[in-house]
Amino acid sequence: MILILLLALSAWLLSLIFPWWSLAVPAILLGAALGRTGGSSFGTGFLGIGLLWFVQATYIHLANDGLLVTRIADLFSLPHPWLVILITVLVGGLAGGFSTLTGYLLGKVLSQARKTV
Amino acid sequence: MARNLTQLLISAATTLLLFWLLSIAFGPTPPLGPFFSPSAGFWANAVTSQKSDLQLDMPGGALTETVSVYYDSLGIPHIFAQNDDDLYYAQGYVTARDRLWQMEFQTYAAAGRLSEIIGPSMLEYDRYRRRIGMGCAAEQALSGLVEHPETARAVKAYAAGVNARINELNPAEYSLEYKLLDYRPEPWSPLKTALLLKSMTYTLAGHHHDLQMSNTRAYLGSSFIRQVLDIDPPLNAPVIPPDQKWDFLPVPIQQPDTVFKPSIATKIPPFRPDPHNGSNNWAVSGSKTASGYPILANDPHLNMTLPSIWYAIQLHSPTQNVMGASLPGAPAVIVGFNEHTAWGTTNVSADVWDWYEIVFRDSTLAEYRYNGSWRPTTQRVEKINIKGEPAVVDTVVYTHHGPVVQTSGSKKMRPGIPRYHAMQWIAHKRSNELRYFLELNKARSYEDYREALPHFDSPAQNWVFADHTNIALTAAGKYPLKWNGQGRFIGDGSDPRYDWQGWIPFDHIPSVKNPARGFVSSANQDPTGDAYPYYLDDDFAPYERGRRINDRLAAMDNITPRDLQQLQTDTYSYHAATVLPRLLRDLRKDTLSPLKREALASLAEWDYNNDGELSAPSLFHYWWEALDNAIWDDEYHAVSFPMERPARDQTAHLVLTDSTLSWYDNITTEESETLNMLINRSFHRAFRQLTKEFGPRGPRWKWGQVNNTNLNHLAQIPGLGQPNIFTDGARESINAIRGDHGPSWRMVVAMGPAIDAYGIYPGGQSGNPGSPYYDNMIDDWTRGKLYPLWFMKHRPSSDDSVTYMLNMQ
Repeated sequence: MILILLLALSAWLLSLIFPWWSLAVPAILLGAALGRTGGSSFGTGFLGIGLLWFVQATYIHLANDGLLVTRIADLFSLPHPWLVILITVLVGGLAGGFSTLTGYLLGKVLSQARKTV
Repeated sequence: MARNLTQLLISAATTLLLFWLLSIAFGPTPPLGPFFSPSAGFWANAVTSQKSDLQLDMPGGALTETVSVYYDSLGIPHIFAQNDDDLYYAQGYVTARDRLWQMEFQTYAAAGRLSEIIGPSMLEYDRYRRRIGMGCAAEQALSGLVEHPETARAVKAYAAGVNARINELNPAEYSLEYKLLDYRPEPWSPLKTALLLKSMTYTLAGHHHDLQMSNTRAYLGSSFIRQVLDIDPPLNAPVIPPDQKWDFLPVPIQQPDTVFKPSIATKIPPFRPDPHNGSNNWAVSGSKTASGYPILANDPHLNMTLPSIWYAIQLHSPTQNVMGASLPGAPAVIVGFNEHTAWGTTNVSADVWDWYEIVFRDSTLAEYRYNGSWRPTTQRVEKINIKGEPAVVDTVVYTHHGPVVQTSGSKKMRPGIPRYHAMQWIAHKRSNELRYFLELNKARSYEDYREALPHFDSPAQNWVFADHTNIALTAAGKYPLKWNGQGRFIGDGSDPRYDWQGWIPFDHIPSVKNPARGFVSSANQDPTGDAYPYYLDDDFAPYERGRRINDRLAAMDNITPRDLQQLQTDTYSYHAATVLPRLLRDLRKDTLSPLKREALASLAEWDYNNDGELSAPSLFHYWWEALDNAIWDDEYHAVSFPMERPARDQTAHLVLTDSTLSWYDNITTEESETLNMLINRSFHRAFRQLTKEFGPRGPRWKWGQVNNTNLNHLAQIPGLGQPNIFTDGARESINAIRGDHGPSWRMVVAMGPAIDAYGIYPGGQSGNPGSPYYDNMIDDWTRGKLYPLWFMKHRPSSDDSVTYMLNMQ
C-alpha cells in the first residue's frame, strides 16, 4: 500500500515537469528497491499509476462538468463518458505495471550479481 | 541467474514495446500515452477553475507601455493600450490565447499545407489550393501590406504578440487539436495574415460559372439564356435605389466583334455548390428611429463552424476606441463600431474569376498564343510536404492571365474547372485590405469612411455605414472593366479584348448616401438597376431577402434596436408567398388521402414564415425542390457536362407567368407533360420523400429539424462540433439559416452620444472544446437573442463586473 502511494506521489511530481513517460522512472526504482514478487510488483505498479490517473481524471471530469470528456467520448464513438476514464486508467495502469515489474526483475538480477561477486 | 536475466530482458523489452506503442499515432488515433495522460494529455485542456487576474511579463522590449485587458462575462477581451503597436501586439497575444489552433489551421488550409499535419489524404486538396495560386495571392497581399508603413507595423506587432503566446506554451498547454493531430504550432508571420485575408477572397469571391454557362449556351442555346437565365424578376430591388442617377462618363471598353466559341471537351460531374450567400445589412436614418440617431444592423452569413470564424474584441488606444468582430489571425476589427461610426458588410459576388481557353504551342506548355504571337509561360514550383511520406513537387504553369489550374488527371479537381485553361482572379492582384480596416476603425465621419474605401479591393463587399447623422452604403471593391457579358463564358485567351481592361474608377462604384427613403440595405442582390453603365455580373442572390428587408424598413417608424434585432430573425418567405398559392390552385384535392389532406390544410393556413416549429415549411421546400427537378432534370441530366441551372426566383417567375413553356415537358417520356401535371406529381413525390427521410407525418417533420443545421468542427473532428441545432429560418428568408450556412455574427448598433450595441455569434470566445466558453452563445443565438455589448469608454472601475484581467508589461 505504501509502495502504491509512494509511486503515485512521485510519478505525479515528475509529471508536473516531464512528459508522460517519466512515470517509468519511479516505477523502475521502486520496483527494484521494494518489489517482493513479480505478480505483486506488476499489481502495485498498475494500481499506483492507475490510481493516480483515476484520481486526476475523475477530479478533472467533475470540476469540468464533464464538458470535455463527453466530447472525447463522442470523438472515439464511446457510448459512455466514464469509458474515457476507464481507458485512461488502463493506459496508465499498464505503463505503471510493466515498468514496476521490469524494475523488480532488474533489482533481482542486480542483487544476485552482487551476491555472486 | 540466466533465468532471471531472461525474465528481465523479456519484461524490459515488453515495457519498451508498450511505451513505444503508446507514443505513436495509428492512423487518425493520437498517441495514447501522451493523449490520455492526465497531466499533459487532453485532460489538461479541461477548464476546471474560474480564471483569475494575471500579471504577465512579456519578452523584453516587446511592449513600450503597460497594456491592460479586461474580460467581460461573455469572455470578450477589452484591450487598453497606450499606443497602437502595443494594441495590435496585445490583440495578437490575446487572440492566440483563445484561438491559436484555429488561426494556424486556417492558414495551413489557405496555403494548401494540410498534408503536413493530416497526411496524404489531404494531398489533392492542397494541390488544388496551390494550383489556383493561393501562395502567389498571399505573396501579393503581403507585399501590399508591408508597403504601407501603418499596416506593416500592425501586422508585425500582431505577429510578435502571437509568437509571444506560442513561445510561452508548453506541450501540456497546446490546444486539444494539436494533441489529437500530434503536431505543434510553428512561428506566426505576417504572411499568415496575408493568407487569411486572401482566403476570405476565396470564400466570398471564389465562384465562377464560365464553364457551366459555356456548356449551357452550346447545348441549350443563346435563346435559352435570354429567356430563362437572363430573367430579372420584377420584384427585384437592387441595393442602390433604382432612381439613382449615374452622372459620370463611363470608361470606354474595347469589345470583340464576334462571339468566341470555346472548344470545350470535358466530362465532369454536374452543378456547382450552392452559392454561399445569405448576408444582410442595413442602416436606418435618424428620421425613422425613436432616438433620432441612425441605427445600423448586419448579419454576415458564412459557413458556421466551431471554433467560430469571428472573435469579439474591443481595442482602445489614444487614437481609437473600436469594438466588434475580428478575424482570428488579422489585426483590427472587421465588422463593428467605434464612438463615432458603425459599419457592416454583405458580399457583392461580382464576377472576378474568369477562365480563358489557351492555345499552347506544344505539350511542354512553355509558350502560348497571344495577340498574334507566341508568349512564354512562367513556372512556379510548389513543394507539398506530407506527414509520414516524402514531399510531392508540383509545377504550376502561369500565363499573363493567371495559373493553368488543371493539366492532368481524369478527375476534375473541382466542378467547373476546364482542363488546360488559365484563370484570372482578383485575389492574384496586389492589395492591402488591412489598410481599409485600420483606417475605418479610427473613422470619425462619413468622409473618413469614403477615404478608407478605395483601399478595399476584394472580396467586393457592400459596406454599410452610419455615423451620428449619416447613413451610406458602397458596393466597394476592385472591379475589372468589362464589356457587357465579359467573363460570363469561357473567353479567348489569345485575344487581348478578353483581358481585363483596367478597373472601374472608385468614383463610379455604386454608392448611396442618405437616400430619400430613409434607409440603405443590401442582401447580396444585384447592386444596381439596369441603368448602371458597367458590367459586374449576371448572377446575384435572388430578390426575396432584399425585397423583404426593404418592405419592412419602409413600413417601420420610431425604430428601436430591438425592432431591428427582430428583423434580423424575420423568417418570412417571399418565395413561398408568391409561388405557393399558385401551386395550391393547381393541386387536385379530391383524390388526396386523409393524411395528405391534413398536410395540405397546414400548407393552406401557413403564413409563409419559416418557423422551426411548423411542418408546412418542410413540405413546401420539398414540394418546390421536386417541382424544380421535374422541370429541369430531364434537360440538365440528359448531358454529362455541367450547365448553369436557373436560379430559384427565375424558375418561380416562369411558373407564375407562363404555364405553356416547352421546358415543362419531360423530354425522356412519350407523354407531353404540362405544368399542372408536374405540380401534382411533385406534391406526391415531396410527401413520399419526407416520409422516407423523417417517417410518417409528425413532429419529425418540423422545419427546425428538416432544415438540418449543424455546427461542425473547423477540421470536421467528430465530437467537437454541435450537431442538430433547432432553429427558425431558411435560405430565402432574412434569417437565411440552411444546413451549415447562416448568420455567423449578428450585430445591431444604435448611434448617438452613448453607443448602444448588441451582438452574438453561434459559438463562443474560447477555441477550447474543454471550456464552457466554447459554445456558450449557441442556445441564445438559435433563439434569436442578441447580447448587449459592453463598449467601455474608459477603463472599468473596481466595482464594474469584469470577470478577470491581464496586466501585460
